[in-house]
Amino acid sequence: MSYREKIKRSQFYRSIFRHGYKDTKPNRMHQIVSNVFLHLHPTSVWRHGTEVRFTWGMGGITFLLFTVLTVTGVILMFYYRPTAEYAYADMKYLEFDVPFGMFLRNMHRWAAHLMVITVWLHMLRVFLTGSYKPPREFNWAVGVILLVLTLLLSFTGYLLPWDQLAMWAITVGTNMARATPFLGHEGPFGPELGVRTDNDVRFLLLGGTQVGPPALLRFYVLHCIALPLVAAIFMMVHFWRVRKDGGISRPPDREE
Amino acid sequence: MTEEASRIVSVRKEIPIDKTRGLWVTRRDFYSLSGWLAFFAFLFMATLGTLRFFFPRVLFEPSPVFRAGFPDEFAPGEVSAKYLKSQKVWVVRDEEGFYALSAVCTHLGCTPRWLETESKFKCPCHGSGFHRSGVNFEGPAPRPLERVKVTLDENGQLVVDKSAKFLFEKGEWGKPGSFLKT
Amino acid sequence: MDHFVHILTRPDNIPIAGMLFLVVFYYWLGISQAVKNDRFGVNRDIDKVHCWPYLTRIEFLASLIVMLLLTVWSVAIDAPLEEPANPSKTPNPAKAPWYFLGLQEMLVYFDPWIAGVVIPTLIVLGLMAIPYLDLNPKGSGYYSFRDRKFAVLIFSFGYLLWVLLIIIGTFFRGPGWYFFFPWEEWDVHRVVAITNVDLPYLFGLRSHFWSSAFGGAAVSGYYCLGVPFYLYLKRKRPEFLKDLGIVRYAIVAFLLLTMLALPLKMFLRIAFNIKYVWVTPWFNV
Repeated sequence: MSYREKIKRSQFYRSIFRHGYKDTKPNRMHQIVSNVFLHLHPTSVWRHGTEVRFTWGMGGITFLLFTVLTVTGVILMFYYRPTAEYAYADMKYLEFDVPFGMFLRNMHRWAAHLMVITVWLHMLRVFLTGSYKPPREFNWAVGVILLVLTLLLSFTGYLLPWDQLAMWAITVGTNMARATPFLGHEGPFGPELGVRTDNDVRFLLLGGTQVGPPALLRFYVLHCIALPLVAAIFMMVHFWRVRKDGGISRPPDREE
Repeated sequence: MTEEASRIVSVRKEIPIDKTRGLWVTRRDFYSLSGWLAFFAFLFMATLGTLRFFFPRVLFEPSPVFRAGFPDEFAPGEVSAKYLKSQKVWVVRDEEGFYALSAVCTHLGCTPRWLETESKFKCPCHGSGFHRSGVNFEGPAPRPLERVKVTLDENGQLVVDKSAKFLFEKGEWGKPGSFLKT
Repeated sequence: MDHFVHILTRPDNIPIAGMLFLVVFYYWLGISQAVKNDRFGVNRDIDKVHCWPYLTRIEFLASLIVMLLLTVWSVAIDAPLEEPANPSKTPNPAKAPWYFLGLQEMLVYFDPWIAGVVIPTLIVLGLMAIPYLDLNPKGSGYYSFRDRKFAVLIFSFGYLLWVLLIIIGTFFRGPGWYFFFPWEEWDVHRVVAITNVDLPYLFGLRSHFWSSAFGGAAVSGYYCLGVPFYLYLKRKRPEFLKDLGIVRYAIVAFLLLTMLALPLKMFLRIAFNIKYVWVTPWFNV
């Protein structure tokens, strides 16, 4: 028996790899079904689901970018401190004193911009193929929520470098919140209801009356923990519903 | 519907390689191999890069070098705890000169105390005991306290450098810097 | 031209250029598939293939390409880091992140509570409502224009309007949020004297009460445009309207009219300098 055979038959090997890799029908099935990362897929798919000219691949690419963002984000967390005292200095530290710091920061920021674009394109594709029609109505709504979550993730992350661009972009963005009807201190009917600068919805967002250190910490927690968790939950529902609704949409067998 | 998919299982045909021309691999396999090699090379380099990321080039730690006053401020025979709290160092003067002991117990790193009446350093964590010289004689400490470099600057002040260590068990207590003769 | 290139190549604006290219490309891809389907019929004879390797390998290839693009992009272009945050010094212009520039541009034409809260909420809710408003059984699972003209046209209009607002916000807005052509240098000291007028004033109304009444009538009159069209549909396509129902019709009409109100308001502002259509003591539209 060759050494390769011996290894492949050892207890150690067989405890990890539970099927063979020769290209046979059962093995093709096993590659999907026995793999924790791949078994969201069915073992066989409609052919047009493999064609980029139909699917564009944007949904999958969005998920890939989310993974890239999570990994680069966690790595960046080793050096970034979300306080007004240190945030900017830590960005400089990453840029100059940490090997590959600038590269990782770039990966994170460009993946974020790209993810907003791919999520937008994914929505366009799903619409143009009518893949929101029954039975996929609910999944479309979940997708819209994911779109909003993507924009919020991008928005909360934008503040973290704590430079002029960050602070003022977020000031512009959150100033719109104070104009919320009923809930904002400058919105219609707000002041009549006793809504002030220190108890309106903008205060809730910022943890203060202006964009300052409490806002930075709040946005950091939202950006790194709260929103990713919520997004992950909605993604699970979204991917699950794709399976349950019959996979990638296709034209009905008969013309209506 | 899955039966149709099950029928299509294309196993690669074995292509005969013309070994008389010195070939050992088909063009397809060569490209395939190169591709996978490039992929794993990228992953490997990315891993290395990520690992390197965790070792910053600049640290913001306080300097290990500090000034310890003039020799006259210490009496011969004195074990001075003046810089114990701020620098974790005892400045010791005997008849011949100065040496500086690092106040880090060689057992597990606690800060021992100098007991004047019993003329020994005693560590509160596990009871390690050291002579005035720094040599361990009781308790779990495996080796003597470390000495750190002590020199004189141009003004005549004592200068202690904690980053330069001298270990007794390596025979370094005679080396220049480990002892300052006065 | 230098200035335009300068704005275009700012690190945070490069995604916009990329987005423009991608939107055009993928729209073309989708339309070409729709044209093909409309002309030659939809291929309904689709077979199944194994997921491994046929789907997984294209997924792998796509991830390789995306990672390659991202890596090259990250090596070549650095993310921006401006001066440290200074609460007492506002940059001019102060722009929101690019995906919110659409909203910021709308602030020119509407008050913050509409542009920043009401319209985004309506967009999100309206998007979520689409599957429940679109009862057309055709066009499910394939590209087509002929089978679902209304849906494709309306969605494309809204989609491209959003993209247009982002482009305006990026390239055509400078200091003071004044209008600058992309090749114009951004003059921080430019002041444009605009005299804006409210619509009721334009019609000769001077008292608060009648201005409010006029504005309210104008807005409700605008939304009531849905009624004659409803009657028209009832005559021409009664079956369709019966299936749709009046509730759905009302929601679609409301959303569509609201969406069209944006370019309409933009036109009124740009052409006639009209600031508000409806002025009340509590809010302005």
